[in-house]
Amino acid sequence: MIHRRAGRFEVDRRAVLTGAVALGTAGWSGCAHAARQKFVTANNNPYDILDPHQVFDIGRIAIRLNMYDALMRWVDNPPKLEKWLVEKYEISPDGKSYTFTLKPNVKFHDGSALTSEDVVYSMERILALKLGAYGLFKDIVVPGSTKALDPQTVEFNLKTPFAVFLAVLSELWVVNSKLVKRNIKDNDWGAAWLSRNEAGSGGYALRRFDPAIGFQVQRFDGHFAPFGKNAIDDADFRVSMETATRVLGVLKGEFNTTDGYLPREQMARMKADPNIKTWEFESIRTFYFIINSWKAPLSDVNMRRALSYAFDYDGFNNDILGGTVVRNPGIIPNPMWGAPKDLKGYIYDLDKAKYHLGLVKEKVRPLQIGAMAGYPQSEQGGQMLQAGCAKIGLDVKVVTEPFTTIAAKFNDRERAHDLIPLWRSAYFADPHNWTGFIYNSGNFDAGNASYYKNARVDELCNKALEITDQEQRRVMYEEVSRILVDDAAGIFVNNTKYHGAFTKNVKSIRFCPIGDAQDLRWIEMEG
Amino acid sequence: MRILVLALRRVAWMPPTLLGLTLIVFTVSHVIPADPARAMAGENASTAQIEALRTKFGLDKPLPQQFVRYVTDVLSGEMGVSLYSQRPVASDLLSRLPATFELAIAAIIVAILIGLPLGVVSALYRNSPLDQAVRLVTIAGLAMAAFWLAILLQLLFSMKLAITPVQGRIDGWGPDPITGFYTVDALLRGDWEMFGTSLRYLALPTLTLALPAAATIVRFTRAGVLNVLSSNFVFYQGAMGIPRRIVVWKYILRSALIGTLTQIGLVFGNLLAGAVVVETVFSWPGLGQFAYNSILQSDYNAIMGFTLITGSAFIVVNLLVDIAQAVLDPRGR
Repeated sequence: MIHRRAGRFEVDRRAVLTGAVALGTAGWSGCAHAARQKFVTANNNPYDILDPHQVFDIGRIAIRLNMYDALMRWVDNPPKLEKWLVEKYEISPDGKSYTFTLKPNVKFHDGSALTSEDVVYSMERILALKLGAYGLFKDIVVPGSTKALDPQTVEFNLKTPFAVFLAVLSELWVVNSKLVKRNIKDNDWGAAWLSRNEAGSGGYALRRFDPAIGFQVQRFDGHFAPFGKNAIDDADFRVSMETATRVLGVLKGEFNTTDGYLPREQMARMKADPNIKTWEFESIRTFYFIINSWKAPLSDVNMRRALSYAFDYDGFNNDILGGTVVRNPGIIPNPMWGAPKDLKGYIYDLDKAKYHLGLVKEKVRPLQIGAMAGYPQSEQGGQMLQAGCAKIGLDVKVVTEPFTTIAAKFNDRERAHDLIPLWRSAYFADPHNWTGFIYNSGNFDAGNASYYKNARVDELCNKALEITDQEQRRVMYEEVSRILVDDAAGIFVNNTKYHGAFTKNVKSIRFCPIGDAQDLRWIEMEG
Repeated sequence: MRILVLALRRVAWMPPTLLGLTLIVFTVSHVIPADPARAMAGENASTAQIEALRTKFGLDKPLPQQFVRYVTDVLSGEMGVSLYSQRPVASDLLSRLPATFELAIAAIIVAILIGLPLGVVSALYRNSPLDQAVRLVTIAGLAMAAFWLAILLQLLFSMKLAITPVQGRIDGWGPDPITGFYTVDALLRGDWEMFGTSLRYLALPTLTLALPAAATIVRFTRAGVLNVLSSNFVFYQGAMGIPRRIVVWKYILRSALIGTLTQIGLVFGNLLAGAVVVETVFSWPGLGQFAYNSILQSDYNAIMGFTLITGSAFIVVNLLVDIAQAVLDPRGR
């Protein structure tokens, strides 16, 4: 449905006509409005693919949040899980069967009804493509096990109890199965077509897409959830890779906003401008160092503790980053349940670092930090640790490489970098995202890039997935968090703050760390 | 006839040159320890998931086999699909080609308009304060990093004077393209407003690219003119009473241009292939941005496609320069 005409991708006329049908049946915004509210945002990630089942990142989450709906949705900060496409659900006593009743009269953008068949198809598509959020479902949902009991009821039958199933259902984006099936080529589940088109029911529908520029959406008033009085009518999501350009673009009014994790000097510039409004929220995105615990001497807890004491946390968080972050002593972000409130993390103490270094049994060798190219904080963090290590006589080298090069070594325990400074983003707001996923030894080669192994951590993480009572789980994750700090499984540095800068005509936003305020539905502009 | 033979000989060399280029880039991009399959699968992907992607895209095959398959695909008109976006690389490149060509052509025109007269004047007033000033400016133009110059221009013309946009190629999404060159399309439609808008968007990236290019042209034109100035035919023409204006702009410049032309060809090739930084800073939707993203993502097919397209363009430009030189220089005919 997209053709390249003289060098440009455009949505096919047929798609536009289908939209026109929907105009009458489902309702589109715009006809009654004299002046339309237009919103332009600049993103530092290329919008190169629109398929909600092929990508699973925060950089391109605007595509999924705005054009698609899922059974559940995260809103607000701290994030709350809300029923979205569903009216109600039931969980069987053994925790393996989930039955959802869908809301009535939910329409896709082409005006057709969203039914349980679409939900089943979407789950099967994720499992078949083995891309995007596949990792969330692969161990718990068997292909063919999801059933459409009637047009409004869908049943998931899990292999094992999985306490975070509801939480990860926010990534089961429902596609219009009939539309996708009409565009399948070579048994590709419509992957080629859906990478350039959309088949969703979300609050906004695709109007134009050009991978070199970005995409444009229009409000879908036929959506089941109401919009605010001054909600956005049209929005452009533009690709702009250079930070200084994005900032100048906002200051000049060419963009209404950009990403919320700008360098401190750029943020200060925004704050000083009278035409810019800023919002600040503590997010749930922790900055830490992966420590490759597989290789000696990092397999020795004293070596890891020495490194943890050699990092100048205050210097990094307050001087280098200018207090734009919050100290986070453990891996679970402070605002999340499961993060112990009394957790004592490491402090910058060179005497203690030297003491633990003296206890290391293995031969101490020069270490290598793999910092991520294009992410100044990753490089600065590496250099800060290097400086601390130099003071205790440790030879540390910082190597800056693109993430793809660093990631290439993840699965090779011997070749992997000794330390990698990076972030753990929120894909779903459950402590499992920060613990079991990245520290359970069952996830070696599939998330646990530290090759860290602790029998008690494994036991607690596995057990916490089998029970649904949050209070019981909280106790378990708090214990996991304490063990990880005691074991110095990583160097846990800070939790990120979101600093949203918007032009003054943006009246309000509703921030959720899963989506970073890219959910257009919650943005209102001046009337 | 001699020009035709020259052109045919150069065309005949194109396939082996491109094959050599492809082999070098293929080897370099594939031996660096990057893993596009892992990047594509995401940070939570399992080994099995990554292996499945490697198999799907043939990345599990030996390198020579991958190379032969790639060359075979290219010969049949396919450049493969992007490992990251899974779209055909050829269509992605073609969609971006007009933006880069429009920018490079605008930049080379501006560079020639600045560089040639300044080079000539600089040579005519050799070692004068004017010559020294031009030298200072050209050295600064060559030494200044493109991203720094770009930001300075943005601050001055977009923020302070508010006469140009900060970034982008057109207001909104632009009209349906005819040629893909927005300035040309505007003229074809007789749409003067769009023509003006396109020029405003084109101005800063063009200047950023043109200033260092102009510096190169100034230096070579100056050297060429100085060389010709001491020739016997110049003295002879002066003695014959031909006005100096005509001697300089008709005879001296024509002879001096032969060397400069080669440089203009090289500079234009560099503008096509090397606008990565400028396109990134100005969010210019061209090949440079595409190359930047492809390299960061280790997207082999996209890197190869970019190299082939820019390599071909470079060869064609050099062919045209050779022909132009042969036309200008009677000894080449």
